[in-house]
Amino acid sequence: MNKPKILIVDDDPDLRKGLNLRLRANHYDTAYASDGFSAIAMAQKEKPDLIILDIGLPAGDGFVVLNRLQQSASLSVIPVVVLTARDPEVNRDRTLKAGAIAFLQKPADNNELLEVVRNALQQPWPGAPASAN
Amino acid sequence: MTNHQSHVLVIEDNPGDADLVRLRLVEGRSDLEVNCVDRLSAGLDALEGAPPSVVLLDLNLPDSRGAETFRKILSKAPGVPVVVLSGQDDEELAAKAVHQGVQDYLVKGAFDSKQLARAMRYAVERQALLTSLDMSRKQQLRFKDEFLSHVSHELRTPLTCIHQFVTLLLDGLAGRLTADQRGHLETIFRSVKQLRTMIAELLEATRAETGKISVELRCIRVDEVIRQAVTMLHASADEKRIGLEAGVDIRIPLVNADPDRLQQILSNLIHNAIKFTAPDGSVMVKAWLMDADPSFVYISVADTGRGISPEARALIFERLYQDPNAVDNSRKGLGLGLYITKELVRLHGGRIWVESQVGHGSVFTFTLPLFSLPRILFSTITDQGRLRRAVSLLTVEVAPLPACSSDQWQDARRQCLQLLKSSVYHHEDVVLPVPENASQQETFLIVAATDEPGAQAMEKRIAEQFERHTELRAKCEIKVAHTAVPLPEDGAEGSLEAQVQQVANRISELAMPAFARGPGSPTALEENSGLVHQPENTKEHTQ
Repeated sequence: MNKPKILIVDDDPDLRKGLNLRLRANHYDTAYASDGFSAIAMAQKEKPDLIILDIGLPAGDGFVVLNRLQQSASLSVIPVVVLTARDPEVNRDRTLKAGAIAFLQKPADNNELLEVVRNALQQPWPGAPASAN
Repeated sequence: MTNHQSHVLVIEDNPGDADLVRLRLVEGRSDLEVNCVDRLSAGLDALEGAPPSVVLLDLNLPDSRGAETFRKILSKAPGVPVVVLSGQDDEELAAKAVHQGVQDYLVKGAFDSKQLARAMRYAVERQALLTSLDMSRKQQLRFKDEFLSHVSHELRTPLTCIHQFVTLLLDGLAGRLTADQRGHLETIFRSVKQLRTMIAELLEATRAETGKISVELRCIRVDEVIRQAVTMLHASADEKRIGLEAGVDIRIPLVNADPDRLQQILSNLIHNAIKFTAPDGSVMVKAWLMDADPSFVYISVADTGRGISPEARALIFERLYQDPNAVDNSRKGLGLGLYITKELVRLHGGRIWVESQVGHGSVFTFTLPLFSLPRILFSTITDQGRLRRAVSLLTVEVAPLPACSSDQWQDARRQCLQLLKSSVYHHEDVVLPVPENASQQETFLIVAATDEPGAQAMEKRIAEQFERHTELRAKCEIKVAHTAVPLPEDGAEGSLEAQVQQVANRISELAMPAFARGPGSPTALEENSGLVHQPENTKEHTQ
């Protein structure tokens, strides 16, 4: 069986690297993007099973990315987990409204993050082929 | 007088007094625009338009008397200076008005035009000063809030990086570790967690100051939250060989609290207790009821630590306070934990205090209001000291759709609550989430002061609002039902309190199917539905 692929979108190279190591150690395939523009391009090219998305990004922040994903029929089915250093009080509801399925604040607990990822991947998503399990 | 003080609003019902004031005003200056009205309502209407430079206000008007009069004016136009025109006999009231925000007062018939002009000039100047003070205070708080929010974001990014790589190393993902290496990394990891807490506290404390902490009260079981908090902190207690135990009677009634905030209060207190207790000591969490104070549950966290000196005890809940004696062998925090804890308890309507004996330990105790249907429903089902003529109960069941993630479900529950609150008719109507239940479903009860057709219309309104809320509709489905609450006959026996109690009991009976699904069993609810205290509940856990 193919490993699920996760697209990591973060402008900080160290954080991308750390998250990449963590996810690969847990048997996920990964791909990167470091700004809003390439996040959309990579999502189209790689067709990831899940996206982990930062909010503060150059060339289109996380909200722009969420909007663009929602507008595309093929991309709107990809679950997005927002992982950001920003204040949940101000951003949590906003990201969920914009279509994210979960909001985690950095630094996130590894177990919590993996749990959210696992749940998101197992979920039959509206419109997604029913083969997720 | 400056040129912007050109428009005076006189609110005075006695035509003679009004004429005299007008005369005195015009004597001093010819370019004044004077607007006289003889009712408070007309005065309030006049304040809708361009604000006057000064209001001259008689306190006893046909449609309002005494303190009520100036309070209404002040709340309508908080930035407009008010000078009270008082009679000889109510000078005391006028003086009280000055304490509560009125700028000055003059006794009618005892002032000339110069005195009047001076009173008005000073009133305007003082008001301007106050307004600018208030503005700069608000600006400062806002600046601080924004600054801290920004700083905490910037601090979190490098902290995240440290967190990530330390955990990678600790989990052996970069190769095997020696015992020493592991020990050192664990030390770093502890500091990372400490930093994370401190950053969160910084933001939380600013929020407490600006009144932005949100507390969502609902009916919950306190024993469960205590157990969760104790389980969460067991590891850190074990590390120090400190015994951590909870003594809670499961028969303690339901409380009206925010489960996440209660968790936060408890973990702050337990965490502190562990921190200031030497190895082999113990920490005990208890909950009990007090005969003398039957509307509250008492919760305490007791330790066998070093204790707190009387001087420190007086200041311990203040912002940024740190016990100077606590520095020696434990690391300092920011001194915000107990301040936040106190604010959270206060927002629940409870109290918190500490008792301590130096060298023997400390006991932090706080109170939380018990969930009491009669108390919550009192103003819904009564009006001017009598039961209302009609009361309805609506049950709204909300269930998540299969595709809804747990974060989205939390979000959906909040949005539903908002939607329901905006669908009720009066602000006395109560929307009540049913005690946390295990099932992935939420039930809200609405108790509304309305009759059968009103309830029917409300039910329709909720369904329509839900239908329009495409975002919510994508996450969950709802089922609404309504029923009239049977009320005692007009002129029925018993005090109002007893009648309210009776109605509350009926409501809980009607809602029982919804309540019975939750862990708050019917018995727990019955106990809770009374304002009456059950002393037998206290026996087991006060020893």
